[in-house]
Amino acid sequence: MAAVCIASRVLTKKVLSSKALPAVSQSSRKLHFSIYGKSNAKVSDGISTQYPVVDHEFDAVVVGAGGAGLRAAFGLSEAGFNTACVTKLFPTRSHTVAAQGGINAALGNMENDDWRWHFYDTVKGSDWLGDQDAIHYMTEQAPHAVVELENFGMPFSRTDDGKIYQRAFGGQSLKYGKGGQAHRCCCVADRTGHSLLHTLYGRSLRYDTSYFVEYFALDLLMEDGEMGPSTASGPRTQSSPLLWLTYSGSCTSAHTSTGDGNAMVTRAGLPCQDLEFVQFHPTGIYGAGCLITEGCRGEGGILINSEGERFMERYAPNAKDLASRDVVSRSITIEIREGRGCGPEKDHAYLQLHHLPPQQLATRLPGISETAMIFAGVDVTKEPIPVLPTVHYNMGGIPTNYKGQVITHTPEEGDKVVPGLFACGEAACASVHGANRLGANSLLDLVVFGRACAHTITDICTPGEKLSPLKPNAGEESVANLDRLRFANGSLRTSEIRLNMQKTMQNHAAVFRTGKVLKEGCDKMDAVYQTLDDIKTFDRGIVWNTDLVETLELQNLMLNAVQTINSAEQRQESRGAHSREDFKDREDEYDYTKPLAGQQRKPIEQHWRKHTLSTVDPKTGKVTLKYRPVIDNSLDAEDCAAVPPAIRSY
Amino acid sequence: MLGVLVKRVVNRVYQVVLRPTLACPVSTRGYKGEASDDSRGDLIEIPLPPWTEKDGETMDMKRRRLLFQSRKRGMLENCILLSLFAKKYLNTMSETQLRQYDRLINEPSNDWDIYYWATEAQPVPNVYAGEIMDLLKEFTKNKDQEQRLDAPNLEYLDKGSQ
Repeated sequence: MAAVCIASRVLTKKVLSSKALPAVSQSSRKLHFSIYGKSNAKVSDGISTQYPVVDHEFDAVVVGAGGAGLRAAFGLSEAGFNTACVTKLFPTRSHTVAAQGGINAALGNMENDDWRWHFYDTVKGSDWLGDQDAIHYMTEQAPHAVVELENFGMPFSRTDDGKIYQRAFGGQSLKYGKGGQAHRCCCVADRTGHSLLHTLYGRSLRYDTSYFVEYFALDLLMEDGEMGPSTASGPRTQSSPLLWLTYSGSCTSAHTSTGDGNAMVTRAGLPCQDLEFVQFHPTGIYGAGCLITEGCRGEGGILINSEGERFMERYAPNAKDLASRDVVSRSITIEIREGRGCGPEKDHAYLQLHHLPPQQLATRLPGISETAMIFAGVDVTKEPIPVLPTVHYNMGGIPTNYKGQVITHTPEEGDKVVPGLFACGEAACASVHGANRLGANSLLDLVVFGRACAHTITDICTPGEKLSPLKPNAGEESVANLDRLRFANGSLRTSEIRLNMQKTMQNHAAVFRTGKVLKEGCDKMDAVYQTLDDIKTFDRGIVWNTDLVETLELQNLMLNAVQTINSAEQRQESRGAHSREDFKDREDEYDYTKPLAGQQRKPIEQHWRKHTLSTVDPKTGKVTLKYRPVIDNSLDAEDCAAVPPAIRSY
Repeated sequence: MLGVLVKRVVNRVYQVVLRPTLACPVSTRGYKGEASDDSRGDLIEIPLPPWTEKDGETMDMKRRRLLFQSRKRGMLENCILLSLFAKKYLNTMSETQLRQYDRLINEPSNDWDIYYWATEAQPVPNVYAGEIMDLLKEFTKNKDQEQRLDAPNLEYLDKGSQ
């Protein structure tokens, strides 16, 4: 049975379409995927005869089926839009499944709580780089979003009197930081991520959403540039974030997180925002990178150095081991650099759990025991776990407004919406996390902004609107790239180039960054980027070609990596997760360490409290950087006062 | 054919009902805190379409598909474990073994379950017990204490380089 390689163009309304190539081929009997989809695909001969193109028409297309994508797809289908969801993985296997922490929401079930306190915590956590209108939107909507999920069928854990149970998490406080630890993280036992995916996926199927599973989205096809006169329509959400697969420090995310969304947007000529802000999770297993949840420290686990000292007491006297992640990561790194690292090479710290009662370890943290044994060979009841700050999350991504619409920015006209394109999830940058993300805010981000995208589209468009015709050869370049990679016969293998990229990023853009090292890194990354032209793949097949998929992913990773390192090199300050040894302080428009009276406000060119907007020329790998001001006002000043910048200490 | 289909549907329903009792003893997952045990309400009330085996695939095609599906998982632990496992065993699996493996990595909806079965943190449901599960459990124990820092590169498949 001959297997045929099929390219699909999935058409949505007006301006924007996206195109996907199935990782699996379909036999010539079935020209388009679907168990659950519609039979409205037609074959077109516009592009090439070697790769027959199938056009599908939908009202809305969602790329990525993680928490955000599924929430958007579900919302759109419920509102009556004929929705397609294109995903690299089976929906319940998206990286959201790894989330075991929970969703923050100020429900007030454990103690008196107010979403404005959550707002304050998030703004402070972002080190005042977050857009306060988006943060206002997210924290105010949080309780509604959680209750809504519960109504969809998510079985949140409950207290004895039947209310949703909420636990403590890092960075969450009461009364604007003055009332002690807040308990606002809602969870489904430790299966929150999976439950979210399962619930949303199951519900969306009842509304007839079409899923293109194990399809790899190649590119966005923009028609007539992005400033079409038509109002926004076909959404695009992407839940695959960037994390570069670093080498020794590794990264905590699955190998499917390859920055596809950011790369697609970059190739379409649009900017990405704040990619230099990479969050290092303080406790990834040394070597493998597998994450040891913050919950360990919430249950009493402590970090110690080679002298057996609980060093977090020095760095964060109040919060100690439960300080914000960037503070903990930096503390561990400082201890290592000052010679108090553990192990034969003194290059990591220890997470100690064996002082906790074995019963507590068994009931509260049993999965940790497995992970520690399998990847680190450690028995947690006897020995501490070797840990190291590990790449975990990227706060940056595709810039959007608080409604989920993708934006560009010019100094003359300010923010401008890109019609037809929306983004949510880790791939987007609303920006609610600013320079640093708080734990349990990410699942919240997914749900609230996935929902926001669905609402915005429902407000702006109607189901069944006619699509303007697509150029017959749209997508030619993407197919040509695919073909070139499939037969690539240069001298460097995919894995070699990837390793070079990982090493460069790990050595030049890790937790602590310096100007000279970053500049070297930028030059090296540029050289690595050029080697993409010399790439060599070995699998020429057109069916289930993992080598080809991983090569496409490498291209995506590379685009993200060059933007990250160039943005980091230019940003001459330390803010949130971006730490510079040569510029240790935050550079704001005023010096907030001193009284404001008598200070002159600096113009935006002279300070760093602004978003980075980066674009890349895919042919040369050259990165261009521009900047965009932070939004400092909340959505309603009376309802929720904006938080003026201040020094951030815990 | 219909008889087989009916049996499969019945099995699926049976498993869905059976699951809560399987998981009832102490939840042995990552971090529980004070949270009550998982009621699994979503899994019971929102059943997903049942997984079915793919028809008409050659063994070679199956191996290629399972390779992709071993390397692309929901979380890092499974990415590393399953891609290393696939490197060691996938190309020498018999047809029955391939089908067992296919079911094991594609039917469970929660990727963590596969990890907990492989690490013996939770008992393996009968439908997944068998040769492949045993191989995976043994492999996970890492008796040779090899370093498991990352998923392997694909070049071991490149016939030209061997």
